[in-house]
Amino acid sequence: MPELRIEATINGRKVARPAKPHLRLLDFLRDDLELTGTKEGCGAGECGTCSVFVDGVLMKSCLVPVAKAQGTRIETVEALANSGELSILQKAFHKAGASQCGYCIPGMVMAATAAIRSNPFAGREEIKERLGGNICRCTGYQKIIDAVEMARDVQNGKLSASVFAEDEPEDGAFIGANVRRIDAPSKVAGALKYAGDMVMPHMLHVQVLRSPHAHARVVSIDVSEAEAMDGVEGVITSADVPGEDGFGVFVHDQPIMARGKVRYIGEAVAAVAAEDVLTAKRALAKIKVVYEPLPAVFDPDEAMQPGAPVLHDYAPDNITKHIPIRVGDVTKGFAASELIVEQTYSTQAIEHAYLEPEAGLGYVDADGVVTIISPSQNITHHREMLSKIIAQPISKVRFIMSPVGGGFGGKEDMIYQGMLALLAMKTRRPVRLVFTREESIISTAKRHPSRTTLKMGLSKDGRIRAFEMRMISDGGAYGMSTEGVMRKAAILAAGPYAIANVKIDTYGIYTNNTPSGAFRSFGALQAQFATESHLDICAEKLGLDPFEIRRINAMRDGATTHTKQKLKSVSILRALEAAEKASDWEKGAPVSRGETRSDHATQGIRPPCALGARFEAPAAAERSEVA
Amino acid sequence: MLLCDEYLTPASLDEAFAAMEKNRGRYRIVAGATDTYPWAREGRAGDVAIPVLIDVAKIPELRERRIDDKRVRLGAATPIQRFLDDPALARALPCMPRCAVWFADDQIRECATIGGNIVNASPAADGTPPLIAHEAEVELAARRNGKIARQRMALCDFVRGRNKTALEEGEILVAFECDALPGYGGAFEKVGHRRSLVISLVCLAALVKLDAAGRRIEDVRLAIAGIDAVPKRLGDVEKYLRAGMVTAERLEQAAEMPVNLVASRTRQAYRREVVRGFMMRGLINALRRAGADPNMLSPEQEASYA
Repeated sequence: MPELRIEATINGRKVARPAKPHLRLLDFLRDDLELTGTKEGCGAGECGTCSVFVDGVLMKSCLVPVAKAQGTRIETVEALANSGELSILQKAFHKAGASQCGYCIPGMVMAATAAIRSNPFAGREEIKERLGGNICRCTGYQKIIDAVEMARDVQNGKLSASVFAEDEPEDGAFIGANVRRIDAPSKVAGALKYAGDMVMPHMLHVQVLRSPHAHARVVSIDVSEAEAMDGVEGVITSADVPGEDGFGVFVHDQPIMARGKVRYIGEAVAAVAAEDVLTAKRALAKIKVVYEPLPAVFDPDEAMQPGAPVLHDYAPDNITKHIPIRVGDVTKGFAASELIVEQTYSTQAIEHAYLEPEAGLGYVDADGVVTIISPSQNITHHREMLSKIIAQPISKVRFIMSPVGGGFGGKEDMIYQGMLALLAMKTRRPVRLVFTREESIISTAKRHPSRTTLKMGLSKDGRIRAFEMRMISDGGAYGMSTEGVMRKAAILAAGPYAIANVKIDTYGIYTNNTPSGAFRSFGALQAQFATESHLDICAEKLGLDPFEIRRINAMRDGATTHTKQKLKSVSILRALEAAEKASDWEKGAPVSRGETRSDHATQGIRPPCALGARFEAPAAAERSEVA
Repeated sequence: MLLCDEYLTPASLDEAFAAMEKNRGRYRIVAGATDTYPWAREGRAGDVAIPVLIDVAKIPELRERRIDDKRVRLGAATPIQRFLDDPALARALPCMPRCAVWFADDQIRECATIGGNIVNASPAADGTPPLIAHEAEVELAARRNGKIARQRMALCDFVRGRNKTALEEGEILVAFECDALPGYGGAFEKVGHRRSLVISLVCLAALVKLDAAGRRIEDVRLAIAGIDAVPKRLGDVEKYLRAGMVTAERLEQAAEMPVNLVASRTRQAYRREVVRGFMMRGLINALRRAGADPNMLSPEQEASYA
């Protein structure tokens, strides 16, 4: 393989070194030069975490072959603050609270730098357009755009640099004060190390073999050929688990790797640790797995039918969890109702799509402590579970939580840390696994898809007399957080409304789909989508304003919830008032508006999505005279 | 993951052909590489090992730009972003800046080339409709018996189908030549799931030249993509509009004409609605930029289309 020799100026320093011809510029920067401020979020040019300047032009380094770097001048995020002082943009990101998990931020700061360099007077729409190639999942972008505008104005002398200073909290009170995040400078500078950025001496690289079947018996796994390969230091399967194999947030139904059968496409079956990622990948191809496909079930309603394929022996009815709530008597409530509305709502699976794909390191330290570094959202529980799985006392298991580059619930499950532990124990070397975006999407938990039937009885004045909900959720192949999600869905299903007669049943069901797990709002979203949509439909039928029907039914201070929680104060009325005001609400039943909106294209109403702000903007020279 | 044993960066067409001849059957040509990398990933081609990658982006002939008031000659490796930041190109190709601003994002446009966009031959390729409207020809080169031979072909004949072109083994797309249309109003309408980094569901290029009074259409060029396997020039509509007065009624009539051409694999009903709307909006935007009467529409039409 003829190696390339790359000579380039990188962050002001001359670099001359060999590089493998297949490398992307991103790999060269991160792996060969250890400039890990440049991140990999997708590897397909979609997310912008890898943006760098090549001869002054911003590019996505995951789409640039390293050969194209020959003879160029490259600037990475590390160059922006290389004097030790943050750049104007970095300071603005710090002040505006534009950085949360921080994983998109190096790329975002680079894109913002490019935007302001291209047009120092860019307006808000043009800034949005120029940052269009960079994705953030935490902020909703507003604070990022605020930061770019702030930096632009400071650079143009319209704002004093003193805006970057922290607001003085009044009388030392921090509540309500704009406090800068302590960890933001490390994120805006690209200095913070996420698990995938960390390296250890003598480290091996891990790759995982995943199931191509949704449901199949594993007849045999032959790893001998893979183990015999040069550069392969360890191969593991479920046979390597020394203790009690099983993890999960509520029920420990998931083995570290498939044990006896696979239950979803993408489930881990075996893992390899090798000297480099490529060797590990090649070794995966040498593992021979014989599967015997089993009938699979992909719909939770079908999974509840007698005779449906059973996923787990302990749950012959495929029910992961059923949460029932009973308050009053719904039969009486419906009898006393003047309007009864029944409707079915469904929601789909959603991927968290945090910008940081899962990554972790495992090693056995000098004292024999099995140590895992990963962006786990639940390290204490993971530690307990792993100690049983590897049959070690808990004092010999350690979890270190690395910075979480976005979690949103999706990093609560211990789906890969067990493999790192086993490989570290088997090879006695540090091991690292970094998921690809595709691997993250195929193998990690999603938001529960749901199908909810809601029947509501109301009197003509809008009072809810009875509430009956049955929600069937697709929990996928393993329990993960399903139990908690079903509980939260049931607790919050009837909303902040005082209803005397309530009957709620939420069911989490096993299917051969990708497992469902924790995701922001944890079941409330699915239930609330049904309840709140339903209230709008009922308001329309009763000729009531949607805000009004909610006020009529709102719990008041001192209320007791449907699950018997005493509430000292209830804020729904204040929330409704604020929402009504902020939305410039036109009062009336949902039918009163007719087919057109009178407020369309008026001030405060966002126009439809368009591009081309840069064509409308006056030339930079004209602007500077104005400024 | 894209693997290769060798990555070659020829400095001339001759060097490129030499590399191609030496590695016959085991090479792939790349320019911007922005389609190649995402293709070589799980769920698409998966891990791909190509023995030799030949990067043609630095060959001077493929970077050429020659522009006068009649013709434009453009090297195939011209990055898309040049349509936005080169004023001479923007003047000669009036709908290309609008096309370019919708193309991927600022960063990818610096790498992605117009030749790559055409050769990839996606049914939704953004670059094809504007170039078809400019009556572009492609220039293909091959080396036979040590001599470089070139041939020209109309772009609309070059694009043959979904990811299919007339490019043959051993050939390189070197350049485009097309009409320069300074003074035309240009528009490019596109819809997809988001604003940046989005594949067109439908995209439309419109170019209009008005008479001196700004009332009669002297020339009009329309091309559309995303509604069938290959982009289409809308000759019938052009014929109907050409030499006619600009009236809202005639525009609405013209907008209706291509609706039934929709033959995409999916979402036909939606695309028909989009085609009607884009025809109106594209024509109106092009007319305005060509200097048409700003009050040519009624307030209702204004609210619907502008």
